[in-house]
Amino acid sequence: MLTQTLEVSISSIRMKNPLTVGSGTYGHHGHFSQYFPVEVMGALFPKTIRSYRWPGNPAPRIHEVAAGLHSSVGIPCNDWSYFVEHDVPILKSLDLPIVQSIIGRTEDEYVKLASECSALGVFAGLELNLSCPNIKEGGLDFGYDPKASRRLVERVRRVTQLPVIAKLAPDYSSLTEVAKSVEAAGADAISLVNAPRAMCIDYRTRRPIIGNKVGALSGAAIKPMAVYMVWDVYRAVKIPIIGMGGVSDYRDVIEFMAAGARAVAFGTVNYVDPLALPKALSDLTDWLAENDIHDINDLVGAAHQEPRVLEELRVRSALA
Amino acid sequence: MSTFDQVLAPVVFNRHLTGDYWLLEVEAPSVSGRLVPGQFVSIRIGDGGGPYLRRPFSVYRVSPDRRRLQVAYKVIGAGSRLMTRMPEGGQCDLVGPFGRGFKLPDHARRIGVVGRGIGIAALPTLVDAAAARGIEVRAFLSARTRSNLVGLDIFESLGISAVTHTDEEAAGQLVSERLIAASQTMDFDGLYVCGSNRLARAVHDLAARKSILAEVAMEQHMACGFGDCHGCVIPVNLNRAGGECALREVCHYGPVFDTWEIVDANANA
Repeated sequence: MLTQTLEVSISSIRMKNPLTVGSGTYGHHGHFSQYFPVEVMGALFPKTIRSYRWPGNPAPRIHEVAAGLHSSVGIPCNDWSYFVEHDVPILKSLDLPIVQSIIGRTEDEYVKLASECSALGVFAGLELNLSCPNIKEGGLDFGYDPKASRRLVERVRRVTQLPVIAKLAPDYSSLTEVAKSVEAAGADAISLVNAPRAMCIDYRTRRPIIGNKVGALSGAAIKPMAVYMVWDVYRAVKIPIIGMGGVSDYRDVIEFMAAGARAVAFGTVNYVDPLALPKALSDLTDWLAENDIHDINDLVGAAHQEPRVLEELRVRSALA
Repeated sequence: MSTFDQVLAPVVFNRHLTGDYWLLEVEAPSVSGRLVPGQFVSIRIGDGGGPYLRRPFSVYRVSPDRRRLQVAYKVIGAGSRLMTRMPEGGQCDLVGPFGRGFKLPDHARRIGVVGRGIGIAALPTLVDAAAARGIEVRAFLSARTRSNLVGLDIFESLGISAVTHTDEEAAGQLVSERLIAASQTMDFDGLYVCGSNRLARAVHDLAARKSILAEVAMEQHMACGFGDCHGCVIPVNLNRAGGECALREVCHYGPVFDTWEIVDANANA
């Protein structure tokens, strides 16, 4: 068999394969490798941290829907000193690139966390979770606002040497504008999609079902939407994309890569099928061999390539 | 090093138990071999074509050779109806065992178990463990109807006299009244309750008066069952009933809690 390259790069982050996990969907209380060695994946995105202690949202936090999960957990978090004392030593012991996801209610909170995380010397990159209301600017999520996300990325860029990955909110109207503005501000990559907002109402009580009323939708149900958004953003920017949203097997990995993703994250499926990622890696390796594809990077953006015949037809009709 | 496994467990049988309940038995030695009474497992129903999430279940019974385990489940919706069609000889995608189980004090000589409805299904593994240590068990069981009193055969085969109570025979009364009456003539070294918040409160009050251990097995909707999703939280008292409170994952900190952790726990505190 000829050599096969699974390695991909997200800026300076070298991943031995393109598979990773969506922040907050894998590992807890410092427990990783509960089902398979975490080092199987190309990079680890641990749960998002805040700069302050936060209990998360009230129960109930989850509600099952057709082919997916409606949830609002609220990113519960210990404080910074707990993170440094308990989580960082565990993360340090892992032998793979770790991209820490961070969130803030204000620009200053993001900037402070980015700076402190960089100083730890443990991380290969930072992911900015932009799905947080900007409380100083009327409560609109950073990720919905091209100007706010640009300013935020610019400020974070100035305090860290690490690759900065902007995780975008899945908003149809502003998506490519936000993608372009974070690229212009110096973001090294884009993660998308974060779980879109959603609501379920109990018909008997006519009240929202989950404790926070508004939540998110994740799981297989959102995959076509997520694939479209990756496809759309791929045409708008040059920086690499980490695709996610309803990924459950190797076919989904190929689909996201064809749409334009350089790496692909497994999210909600980790709750349901905890061995989904290693299984997909094995299946993907077999599929590449069967299809004579030697470099996985060849899959990236494949859906954007027009078939040659169509291309020629177009040239001819343009000449005519 | 993980304390649980994902297995494709061969289905030994899957049949109607009594009333609204069915009983599934699977061969899963790596799970049943280390299961502590009160721990739970989660099952994927329908091989990807069923409900999106797994379903958590208490373990009803472990075989004497500890190679097989049983799950008693209530047929209540589309998922559990689909589960009744899991064929004998087929495979059950099962993960576990999860969570913190019941504690039997070293000095225990007599315990009381209190269950309602499907909550009774969490008690037989505890009762088996108690019986193996020669601990006397008194059972207080309630259900909506007589046919929904699960596990009576198990209690009977272990020589345990169970006080039973159904809504159709004695509406408005709690089976815990019978426990309270019994406690006036005998001492209990531990009380265990499952299936009803009202029963948990009554058991807690009795245990607090007598200064004995009281535990409750809690239920909550779960997405994962192993701590990663943070979805299955309930308010839990940190120091005393009605005191300072925090949200805790049932799958990780429970499903068995001391009753004082749960009684009067206020989500807004």
